Amino acid sequence: MVKKRIAKILSFRYVMMAAILVVLAGGLVLLPKYEKSEGIPAEQLLSNIISLERYVSTDQISEKIISQDPSFILIDVRNEKSYNTYTLPNAINIPLKNLLDEKFEAYLNQDQFDILFFSDDNFYADQAWAICNRLEYKNLHVLKGGINKWFTTIINPQKPLENSAAKEFELYTTRKAASMFYGVVYPDQAKIKSVAKKTPRKIITVKKKKKMPTEGGC
Amino acid sequence: MELLINSGIISSNWDSIIAICIGIAFGFVLESSGFSSSRKMAGVFYGYDFAVLKVFFTAAVVAVIGIYYLDYLGYVNVGELYIHPTYIWGAIIGGAIMGIGFVAGGFCPGTSLCGVAIGKLDAWVYVLGILIGIFIFSELYTFIEPIYTGYYLGNVTLIDSFDWNPYWTIFIFSVIAIVAFVVADFVRKKIKKVFY
Repeated sequence: MVKKRIAKILSFRYVMMAAILVVLAGGLVLLPKYEKSEGIPAEQLLSNIISLERYVSTDQISEKIISQDPSFILIDVRNEKSYNTYTLPNAINIPLKNLLDEKFEAYLNQDQFDILFFSDDNFYADQAWAICNRLEYKNLHVLKGGINKWFTTIINPQKPLENSAAKEFELYTTRKAASMFYGVVYPDQAKIKSVAKKTPRKIITVKKKKKMPTEGGC
Repeated sequence: MELLINSGIISSNWDSIIAICIGIAFGFVLESSGFSSSRKMAGVFYGYDFAVLKVFFTAAVVAVIGIYYLDYLGYVNVGELYIHPTYIWGAIIGGAIMGIGFVAGGFCPGTSLCGVAIGKLDAWVYVLGILIGIFIFSELYTFIEPIYTGYYLGNVTLIDSFDWNPYWTIFIFSVIAIVAFVVADFVRKKIKKVFY
């Protein structure tokens, strides 16, 4: 009796399987759709934000520029006017408002070079960093303190007080040497230069004798 | 499986071993469901056995429904799955040749190897034919190359290229599959039974 009933149910097995298939497929159509969040998930973004690799100090980048390290791209996210006035050596100008332009994508979306954003401080550079993070670009960094910090540390380093630690003096001499690399001239050097100035030589023009054209001859 | 490999739970050194295991399992299932018989395979063209049609259609529908449910629940991202690139004319011509081979020989490449494994003579001949075909293809490669590597459309799907709604596509596809099964069964009952 039980067997008969099971057999009766099983005779409909293909119909049942077909029904399950249709219900499942229909379920996909009827399920409420939700907008999937694009870009990186929040946890990943947070871990990028607190990552120690996010910020690069001015000393680090100055050393890289001096040693002609080819592994990074400097990107100036300020406007074109500021870029033309002053920027870091070999920096590329990608104003923040043009960050998503197609012509700049090749610079940003690659994993060959480290990308270093900088602006006057790190405010706009951080925004560019966040946007590129959302686009899942790789190797993004921000110059801590931006151009302002660059000026106060590298270009115009503060002389440490006399009672400062030796380390600070070392840092100062390094920064001073770096600033000279970027073209800053210190008064003590300037003096040396003036001492070494040579008196201009008097130029005496010597007229060459004109060779007499050979004439005739035997 | 790919999830396990990508997340580093299984190192990539195991790839070949995993591949062999999956291959053996696949061959076993093919053979035990009778797919190593060329008569069963060819039955779909003569209308006395629609197992091939049913198996492939069911596999496709079940897989696509499963993947889209996993995508909906956030376990798999459909956009990140590998899509085989389309070389349109290569696919059409190759498909036609493959189809002719299928009708004539009663095997597809996978099932022919299955048949070889259980010692079917027609499968041996079929695999020999495949090898000859590969040889001819290699010799004529410079001549065929423009078609083989040309007409490239990229990694496209029907859903992308026609801008269809994937969920409706899947639903309609499932309905078509079921209708095909019913029609196939109807045809099979009409056709004279073949013993094999």
